[in-house]
Amino acid sequence: MRVILDELSAVFGGWDGSGRDDAGAGREGGGRVVRGAEPCRAAPLASDAAFNELAMRIHEAQRATNPVLRRFWDASPGGKPADWREIPAVPATAFRDIAIVAGTPERVFRTSGTTGGGGRRGEHHVLSLDVYRAAARANYRHHLMRGAESLRVLSLVPGPREVPDSSLSAMAGFMAAEPGVGSAAWGFHERDGVDIAAVRAAAAGGGPVLVLATAFSLVHLLDALGDERIPFPDGSRMMETGGFKGRAAEVDRDTLYGRAEHALGIPRSRIVNEYGMTELLSQAYDGVAGTAPALRERLHRFPPWVRTRALDPATLAPLPPGTPGLLAHFDLANAGSACHILTEDFGHTTPDGRLRLLGRVPGAPPRGCSMAAESFLRAFRTTP
Amino acid sequence: MTTSRPPPFDAWLFPPGLPQPQALEHVGSDTVTIRYPKSDHHLAYILVSSLRAARPPLAGLETRDLITLLGAAGERFPHTLDEEAIGEVAANAGLSPPMTREVLGGMADSWTTDALKRLVRAEFPDPRVLDGFVAEDGRKTHAAAPGVTLHLGAGSVPGVTITSLLRALLVRSPVLVKPGAGDEVLTTRFARELHRADPRLAAAVAVHYWPGGSPGRATWEQELLTLADQVVVYGDDDTIESVRARAPASTRLVEHPHRLGVAIVDPDSAPGAAADAARAVAMFDQRGCVSTHLILLLGDHEGAREWCGHLAGHLARIDAKLPPAPPSPAELSARHQLKGRLALRETTTEEVTSWAPEGAGWTLVLGPGRAFEPVGGRTVWVVPVPAAAACPDVLAPLSAKLQTVGLAGVRPDRGRLAEALFGLGATRIVPLDQVPFPPPDWLHDGSRPLRELVCWSELR
Repeated sequence: MRVILDELSAVFGGWDGSGRDDAGAGREGGGRVVRGAEPCRAAPLASDAAFNELAMRIHEAQRATNPVLRRFWDASPGGKPADWREIPAVPATAFRDIAIVAGTPERVFRTSGTTGGGGRRGEHHVLSLDVYRAAARANYRHHLMRGAESLRVLSLVPGPREVPDSSLSAMAGFMAAEPGVGSAAWGFHERDGVDIAAVRAAAAGGGPVLVLATAFSLVHLLDALGDERIPFPDGSRMMETGGFKGRAAEVDRDTLYGRAEHALGIPRSRIVNEYGMTELLSQAYDGVAGTAPALRERLHRFPPWVRTRALDPATLAPLPPGTPGLLAHFDLANAGSACHILTEDFGHTTPDGRLRLLGRVPGAPPRGCSMAAESFLRAFRTTP
Repeated sequence: MTTSRPPPFDAWLFPPGLPQPQALEHVGSDTVTIRYPKSDHHLAYILVSSLRAARPPLAGLETRDLITLLGAAGERFPHTLDEEAIGEVAANAGLSPPMTREVLGGMADSWTTDALKRLVRAEFPDPRVLDGFVAEDGRKTHAAAPGVTLHLGAGSVPGVTITSLLRALLVRSPVLVKPGAGDEVLTTRFARELHRADPRLAAAVAVHYWPGGSPGRATWEQELLTLADQVVVYGDDDTIESVRARAPASTRLVEHPHRLGVAIVDPDSAPGAAADAARAVAMFDQRGCVSTHLILLLGDHEGAREWCGHLAGHLARIDAKLPPAPPSPAELSARHQLKGRLALRETTTEEVTSWAPEGAGWTLVLGPGRAFEPVGGRTVWVVPVPAAAACPDVLAPLSAKLQTVGLAGVRPDRGRLAEALFGLGATRIVPLDQVPFPPPDWLHDGSRPLRELVCWSELR
């Protein structure tokens, strides 16, 4: 497994967005933060054969080193898989119950409470932070950092020191440590919320800023600003992630981006959404900051080491592009845990491998006045 | 041949004389479309003012006459629902028609004249206190609800909102009802029955559905929360907290948060308990606050495994007799997640065994208490417990949310166990076969259902 993880780090680290129709997008001014073009070792994964070859090698390595997965697969119907699609998927919620890891984890990331619930938070036991860093880095450099001479980071995601078990905070930490990033400020804290002074200071400095925000923290910031405007320097951009589940004041993304554009002076074309889960080490983005299209035209795309399928909610049979279903991701970066994850998200794929996210599965189970698991888990967490 | 889509159902009913809504919105599925008025800030004031004006005529009715009026309507109502109407209620609630009939039958037992009499007597030994001042230990007392009551219904257990509405009327409060999503059809139909029954009831009952908590409704909800004198809110913690945060101090809140039902069974002393347990799990498709999600079974793991086989058989029989409605994608997703999780758990411990036959609308899990979480959709967890005395410890983590505890065959320890369960917060401890349908005078979430609605006045 260690050999494979090292191989994956190298493959992901070499990816420069090539093989993508948005690969050249956003390379305005040559792109200084992302320097040079390294030989791309990930591009071949765009081919199904290369992807399958690596996926099946990982599968064999996981069988040898991950006893939980091996027993799960052995107990599942169907014989030996001939293809990555035939490897039984692990439900995302299983990360609440059991450590799925091929060895001793280097870090344990925990879900925040929406997908994974509260009392039993989902735990992703990550065997190699290097793999996570490599998978995340290649992707965020491509989507968020192109076209800037240098960047400063303002994170409205709590920092990794504050929330060491958050995969999102860890990724924010990776970005803050990028060689092309001049300074990083942490403008949101779990206990105190938005630090407006930090936001003002970031906007007042010279040079473009990369703002990292969850939808929740962004709403907090914009609410706190009221009518005040804090224009960020030209070239600033924003990564927004997460939804509004469980928040009383739901707003739609179009409204949110409009408010952000007005208050912070960051145009919508420079605000991109990141789709990620604690249970996946790779992320999908819906555009390249600077050239992101109108919201209605946006589709998410994972890097070439991830495949996504929409599955029939009743039978879990794969659905053709354009037909919505339950999303299952196969993320090679998850070699140390479980690659094939069945999510509770709904969406459809496109013929070119992109993804339209439609939120959580529709028709939430009717609850009447009986307690739902999510509420139960939240209550369970707060019960001494 | 093409099937025509049924016409939309109008989920509102205003007192006679009020202007009808000019603009409508709708929400719906393939089988039923719900229409409701668009948000109109004048409407909130007009509605509540009109209802407030209806209070004196309602208060002028003597309790026995009011019970007769309401009880007659409650007894008549189930007979007004033909197959088509049952189908509409079922489609709206997301229940199968047979289950809808079963639920209605059980709920309607609380709407009869006798049931309402029993309720009022249980709450007010001298019901005349609802009519005026009545002598009591050197003073006179009088009880009535404060002004207009706004009901915010939860989810899709048909009939819950009707029961709540009847309670408010019994204590002389005109009502504005927002049915929960999935309970619009039955509630509105019942309100129509009340309108037909008596003009004083017609003036005092309004129904208006809207999707609760939606961003476009914030102002509307705020106005209603301010205008109403009392709000009865059913819902999850987010809903309750949201209403709490927005209601002014002058508005009285009566809260019914989501709850959990459990059962404790001694199989040796209660041979028929598996059938009762299956019914307690399956009724309302497990959406009631009374519904059983967890069964503590006295005995060892092997005995529990055998008993689970019986329970599985009964769940399958109920599945055939009272089938669940076709599952939504979210319900299917929840089942896939659960199935996969259980399969993974089974790889690590022999403590967990599950029964989830292909195509069945139920799931049975045998495992340790720490594994439990309520999944819904007729999913029941059975936890072997060595003795009744050990049950409170297993249930302790659930104490904040406990409501109904069904008991079967635990008589020798019943008193001591009941005290321990009461200490944990259980508000209803009843024989397992009585779990699905509480009597009209039950202590709903630990409160007396009429007394929680009234204010008292004393005259010395």
